[in-house]
Amino acid sequence: MGLREILTGRSAVKQPAARERLFALSTAYVTLETAYSITSAGVAGIVVQALATSDFQSVLKDTEEVVKATAGDFNATVQTSDDEYGFRWVVIRDPAIEDLVVTINGVSSSIEAGGYGERILCAVFAFKAADGAAINFIYNYKRGSWYPFVPAPGDKQRNTERELQLKAQIGGELPIEPELERWFPLWGVPF
Amino acid sequence: MATKRSNFGRDRGLQARMGLTMFLLGLLYVVLVGVLIAASASAVVIVAIALGLFFVQIVGSDKIALATLGAHEVSESDEPQLHAVIERLCIQADLPKPRVAVIEARMPNACALGRSQKSATVCATRGLLQMLDDPAELESVMAHELTHVINRDVMVMTIASFFATVAALIIRFAFFFGGGFGGDRNEAEAIEVVILVSVLVYAISFVLLRALSRYREFAADRGSAMLTGRPSALASALIKISGTIERIPRNDLRTAEGMSAFFIVPARAKNSLMNLFADHPPLEQRLAALSRLEAQLQGTGR
Repeated sequence: MGLREILTGRSAVKQPAARERLFALSTAYVTLETAYSITSAGVAGIVVQALATSDFQSVLKDTEEVVKATAGDFNATVQTSDDEYGFRWVVIRDPAIEDLVVTINGVSSSIEAGGYGERILCAVFAFKAADGAAINFIYNYKRGSWYPFVPAPGDKQRNTERELQLKAQIGGELPIEPELERWFPLWGVPF
Repeated sequence: MATKRSNFGRDRGLQARMGLTMFLLGLLYVVLVGVLIAASASAVVIVAIALGLFFVQIVGSDKIALATLGAHEVSESDEPQLHAVIERLCIQADLPKPRVAVIEARMPNACALGRSQKSATVCATRGLLQMLDDPAELESVMAHELTHVINRDVMVMTIASFFATVAALIIRFAFFFGGGFGGDRNEAEAIEVVILVSVLVYAISFVLLRALSRYREFAADRGSAMLTGRPSALASALIKISGTIERIPRNDLRTAEGMSAFFIVPARAKNSLMNLFADHPPLEQRLAALSRLEAQLQGTGR
């Protein structure tokens, strides 16, 4: 943020990062599976801040229709739900991770084309470790970076040790968010 | 469809007023510095003291303020809802997460402290958390405070008031030493001029700084609306906080109409002089600005 924005107090909401690093997961996934036995849970979701305007609702509706139409080619299913914070989740289920990445990218591109890119928060991809523990990889659209999020048993606890291990394991292939204070948790993921 | 919302958050008038205020403050300070340099004498000492104070304020003001407010930092397990709301806003605003603190007071209020984005603390009172049970309203108030962090308002206001502090110091010194720090007559006269100018600078900058502070509040309201996309949620929260929920009438229109004939003037006349000195803009103006934003967002406004 420049001096001019500070002096005028005119901050703009950040658009999605210019460098698209979402697709890094399609290749990093191979390492996750073969070297660390971490497999896709076959589900991913994208989180969008839902505006209560007719224009935004129609963009979102068009997006959902396009995704549902293309999802048929992949054997994917699409669901939407709203969470308690007023965010819209578009949840996609597909056994193939490459299809999940492509479909999630389709959702975000369609919303961006509608002129609402700044309302896209992040995408969450669910994985399972060999011991059955749930692992999430979150893609932050604003920063174009990934981070792991591993919920632990108990109320809103996270397994930070495991997350840091994952960073060391996959950091070479997946662009991981360098600032740990931006590894924001997402509680109440609807899958 | 992008054209429909391209004017969302447009606020030329506010920008112009803020720019004019900053220009006038700058002009005023140039006059003060000019007079100080012309008089030279003990002015250097005073500026040095002011710089020292300024440094302490920049480095330690947030800690001092947190201590005097009685705020205590809360962890995620203490206040899961508040943390979750702030975390999502931080992703949206692309901010590192600030420290989160709560003040155990029943009066609903919130504040943001800290000189930079990395050292920021966002504070809410217990009363606010209890009053705003709707997450969207809490979110919009926190977005307002986070916008203060994004716009670096603490830093802007501290720097803007630096020379006002210098002027205040000069007046205080003059008061204590009674102008007895001059030897010959010329120097005594010069010091009288310095004191006179300082009083003027202090008085005018006081009004200008208040105006600047009000414009920063409007900018923070706007920033909150941009971040959450919900100007009306902030308006609703402001109405609740200011305790004017009665503003939305509960009486039937027909009974109200019968009563209004008995009033010769509106119940509360607008006091424009008071507005000049308030550091927060009046609620009516903030609500009006937010309703313009909502109209722009819905595509029905200009």
